Amino acid sequence: MKCEELLTYLSDYIDQNLDEELTEEAQNHLATCQNCRVVLDTTQQTIFLYRKQGTRNIPAGRRQRLFKQLETAFLEKIA
Amino acid sequence: MFTESELIEALRQRNPEAFSYLFETYSDKIYRLAMSLLGSEDEAEGIVQDSFLRLFEKLDQFEGRAKLGTWLYRVAYNASIDLLRKRRPVVPLLDEPDDEGLPVPVVYVDWCQAPETILASEEASLELERAIAQLPKRYRTVFILRDIEGLSTAETAEILSISVSAVKVQLHRARLMLREQLSAYFSERLSTKPKGLAQPKGLAQPKGVNL
Ligand SMILES: [Zn+2]
Repeated sequence: MKCEELLTYLSDYIDQNLDEELTEEAQNHLATCQNCRVVLDTTQQTIFLYRKQGTRNIPAGRRQRLFKQLETAFLEKIA
Repeated sequence: MFTESELIEALRQRNPEAFSYLFETYSDKIYRLAMSLLGSEDEAEGIVQDSFLRLFEKLDQFEGRAKLGTWLYRVAYNASIDLLRKRRPVVPLLDEPDDEGLPVPVVYVDWCQAPETILASEEASLELERAIAQLPKRYRTVFILRDIEGLSTAETAEILSISVSAVKVQLHRARLMLREQLSAYFSERLSTKPKGLAQPKGLAQPKGVNL
């Protein structure tokens, strides 16, 4: 496998969507190619950082108000 | 805890606990998606409100073919896009990039082991936001749904009304673009000394310390 192919398959590799054969080829390439190893690691780290940061909730005051409004609307709809 | 069908049934009966559960499960997710597209807290709140109200109205017809979550995401996504369209009627909406060629990595610095003071700094957090805001909207949405919210490829495709293979391609591009941006930022941070820690002139630099 060449670097360009590794790059093409990178997300599938991360998501474990490659078949056995391609996975092995990718692993072999990664074992010998420092650059691709770095791209893989930093891509995974990128995803990790966003996952850590990305789950912010609605600001508390806003959330509470929204809950009340929607709850009222929900309960008023009783047939 | 409710199963999907129990939840729909309890919502139809206007069970307050079912509402709480629905709200706790989905309101923040929908808000984040709308926020990422619209950038306005008021508008994002409006999207959450409208999406839930529409669900309440549809409850009796809800067939259970789509999952509640998928349905809510889909309504919220489409409503956000409608709002964008109204806001900027002339500009091409999803600023679709041409899908030719993958972004080629330029920075090959391994910053994974950077100290937490760099990785978890307030500045880094802002850089993450800046980088994701620069992505084309479609890529941004795919990245958020797949990598941040953890939805499946199939569910993401259903929410955005695009094919599974389009989701995969766009996610791959989004990841590589973000990796590039963050690599540029973190490698820069790793190569510059933190402010305020400069050695006074005349003092020997400690040897073997690589900042
Ligand atoms: Zn390589």
